[in-house]
Amino acid sequence: MIETLRKAARSIGNPSLQAWNEGGGKVLGYPCTFVPEEIIDAAGILPYRLRGITAGTMSIGDAYFGPVICSFPKCILQLAGQGSYGFLDGAVVVNGCDSMRRLHECWRKASEDIPGTLPGFFHYMGVPHKATDYSIEWFKEELGILARSISDHFGTPVTTDSLRRSIRLFNEIRSLLSELDEMRMSETCPVTGSDAASIVLAGFAMPREEYRETLGKVMARLRKSKPVSDGKVRLMVVGSASDDADFVELVESTGAIVVSDCMCFGARSFLKRVDEDADPIEALAERYLGGNLCPRMFGWYKDRLAFVRDRALRSRVDGVILQNIRFCDLHGSENGLLERDLEAEGIPCMRIEREYGPLVETGRIKMRLDAFMERIRTVGGRRS
Amino acid sequence: MRESTREYRFDWMLWSILENASRSTDGTPKEYRSLLDLVPHFSEVLDTFVRQGEPGLRFLRLIARYADMCSSANERGKLAALTTFCMATPILHAFDVVPVMLEALTVLGTVVLKRGTSEYLDYCCEVGFTETSCSAQRGSLGAFLAGGAVRPDFVVCDTPGICDTNANSFAFASAFLDVPFFQINYPPTLTDERARAYHRADFASLVSFLEERTGKRLDEERLMEVMRELARQDALASELIDLMRIRPCPVPGIYDLMLYGGRFMMSGTREYTELLESMLEVARENARLKRSGTRTGVERARGLFCYIDHYTTDARFWDWMETNEVSHLGSILFTFWNADAPYARGREEQGYTLDCSSLDAALDSLCDQMSRMPMIKQIRGPYDAPGMWLDDVLAEARLLQADFVAYIGSMGCRNSWGMNKLLVRDLERQGIPAVILFADAFDDRVASWETVTERLSEFLTVRGIIS
Repeated sequence: MIETLRKAARSIGNPSLQAWNEGGGKVLGYPCTFVPEEIIDAAGILPYRLRGITAGTMSIGDAYFGPVICSFPKCILQLAGQGSYGFLDGAVVVNGCDSMRRLHECWRKASEDIPGTLPGFFHYMGVPHKATDYSIEWFKEELGILARSISDHFGTPVTTDSLRRSIRLFNEIRSLLSELDEMRMSETCPVTGSDAASIVLAGFAMPREEYRETLGKVMARLRKSKPVSDGKVRLMVVGSASDDADFVELVESTGAIVVSDCMCFGARSFLKRVDEDADPIEALAERYLGGNLCPRMFGWYKDRLAFVRDRALRSRVDGVILQNIRFCDLHGSENGLLERDLEAEGIPCMRIEREYGPLVETGRIKMRLDAFMERIRTVGGRRS
Repeated sequence: MRESTREYRFDWMLWSILENASRSTDGTPKEYRSLLDLVPHFSEVLDTFVRQGEPGLRFLRLIARYADMCSSANERGKLAALTTFCMATPILHAFDVVPVMLEALTVLGTVVLKRGTSEYLDYCCEVGFTETSCSAQRGSLGAFLAGGAVRPDFVVCDTPGICDTNANSFAFASAFLDVPFFQINYPPTLTDERARAYHRADFASLVSFLEERTGKRLDEERLMEVMRELARQDALASELIDLMRIRPCPVPGIYDLMLYGGRFMMSGTREYTELLESMLEVARENARLKRSGTRTGVERARGLFCYIDHYTTDARFWDWMETNEVSHLGSILFTFWNADAPYARGREEQGYTLDCSSLDAALDSLCDQMSRMPMIKQIRGPYDAPGMWLDDVLAEARLLQADFVAYIGSMGCRNSWGMNKLLVRDLERQGIPAVILFADAFDDRVASWETVTERLSEFLTVRGIIS
């Protein structure tokens, strides 16, 4: 069962997605956790989180983006340009960060040179950088515009009822993933970090009903599984978008186990539920903008520090890996603050800057990880 | 950071240098020439301004006064706000708050300090800030993080939604220094009713924040006074830009820096108005004599810089332009978008109009002004959307008859590097020669000034712009 999820996590396409496509199902891509998947799902369309894994070259990405840009959107553009995203019927781009928002222009312009690479539906959604009454109101309107645009383009109405159904489905998934999260943080963690990452990542790429069923079965098995964390150094991974289960596997190859995270492809994507009783669009706006833990929400560092600290303590980690993709200044500099503040509380931290995509830097990262593990083993992990 | 660097406050050093520079011509011309030999690391930049005559000296006095305002804010019992160049400052003046502008201080440090700002740039990284972040803020931020400059009472920025890298510097400063933070946040559109309502709600929220932090009500009389001065300044700047349309361009290249530098630091002050008046006098006279504003009075080419300038040590950028008889037609920092500006003709709805008829009208118009500041207007949405970067560059290139357009930015500028290839391609398709210069405007270590000029010269020669 978990093998299905592992495969879906490590590739752009997967058999379930293919079957969905072949059955005439539509797929809409989005790059960032500020896009409510429920709205897409409510139109009967599969929400697919855009990723850049498997990009083996940057020839297209580099032709449009400049050199000092995060490699995550570049890899997405690369895949789009080389046709890997041919299964997309639409895409929504948001201003999650400066690099990501320019995917909108670069993708459009690339499609002028490489016809057929731009999906038929291409939508830009503005997301405020703060959660106040008027910014949530703005965001609510943006969600309404998105819902109407999807309805108009695909001819499948997004109704209050369909939204409520989708919210329930996604909340069920969130509940299961939250249970997985608690299991991982416990002393008797029954799953490796790389498998946990695969379980979560697959959920961004599979038809959600099917994913819920599969996830339910995986969870039933995990509830009965023996701990896999005994004798291992417990780590938490924090920072930039990381959708590479191989990266977690690399961390764990040093004798560690990743028992917790604070990343948008991880816990940050599922921990908060959507209010099922409120007006659906209002509830989605509140959930997706209010309290979002991405550092692009400027001025809420203390809240994010509290969140990371709380998870580090609850999961009894020996250390925290603070990673960022090169040119991701938002996470990179916040990692600097987190390092200062967590180390002051006796939590060992390792900051690492890396490229997104295939583990081209495995040797360098492994050396840093080994040094960090040595520090934890000789000096000791978190001081309780 | 070296101990010796820590011994002197960054802002005090700037003030001390600039204050002395502004008095360097108080003696005889012979004394001034002798003085230049005594300040070998500063003589070029000093002379760049002094040889402009009255406008240059006024500018030196203006920036000396600004450096003094910043460095002595704590001692004078004034509240200091760490802020950004694209924050319109009248609202801060109305609360008697000193706007301590990171980018302005970085430029001053880069241009006048013997070693530039490299130690401050690097100190940011020492304390956890990323080396890939924008050098426009890092160049002075390091001094604040090291405690080597005035301590800000709070941080106010208006770049979220425009340039997150910029905003991130201010968020980092707030968290690192543990001082309150306020952000104005912009939607991706400008002129529609939704965007307008959002701007106003956000601006009202800023006013509440300032009331709370200062414990004062807004000083309406002071605000109106600043706004009236600002309206006069808008008119003067518009005339100056209008003169730039003439071939040869009668406006000296360094006026570009003086216009926007003065505006960022001292808008709404009498000193800035007088500076603009003196600049206009020279430009009008040049126009009457059909002289170019370059040192030789000859114009070989006209260049528009579609983003920012290069603030290399000793002001060599402007010197290079003059030496090569290339007229500087400004950059986006040059455009503030009052509805009467020459570049706003036919696109007045994208501009602002200052309205002092009531407090509400004044605040609304200040909000409109703020949301059209340089960079805020151009890169808030897709570069090729109406009224954004491409539209503005094309309109200015045509209005000012630019022979070429050049991009210079910083390595931290994710936004412009995310679309400058597309912009340049579009400009070329419109028949405007355009070039991207891979360099950092504030950090010579990325690409030396010599490398930059070599590339620019090569571009101008190969494209037949300069023979």
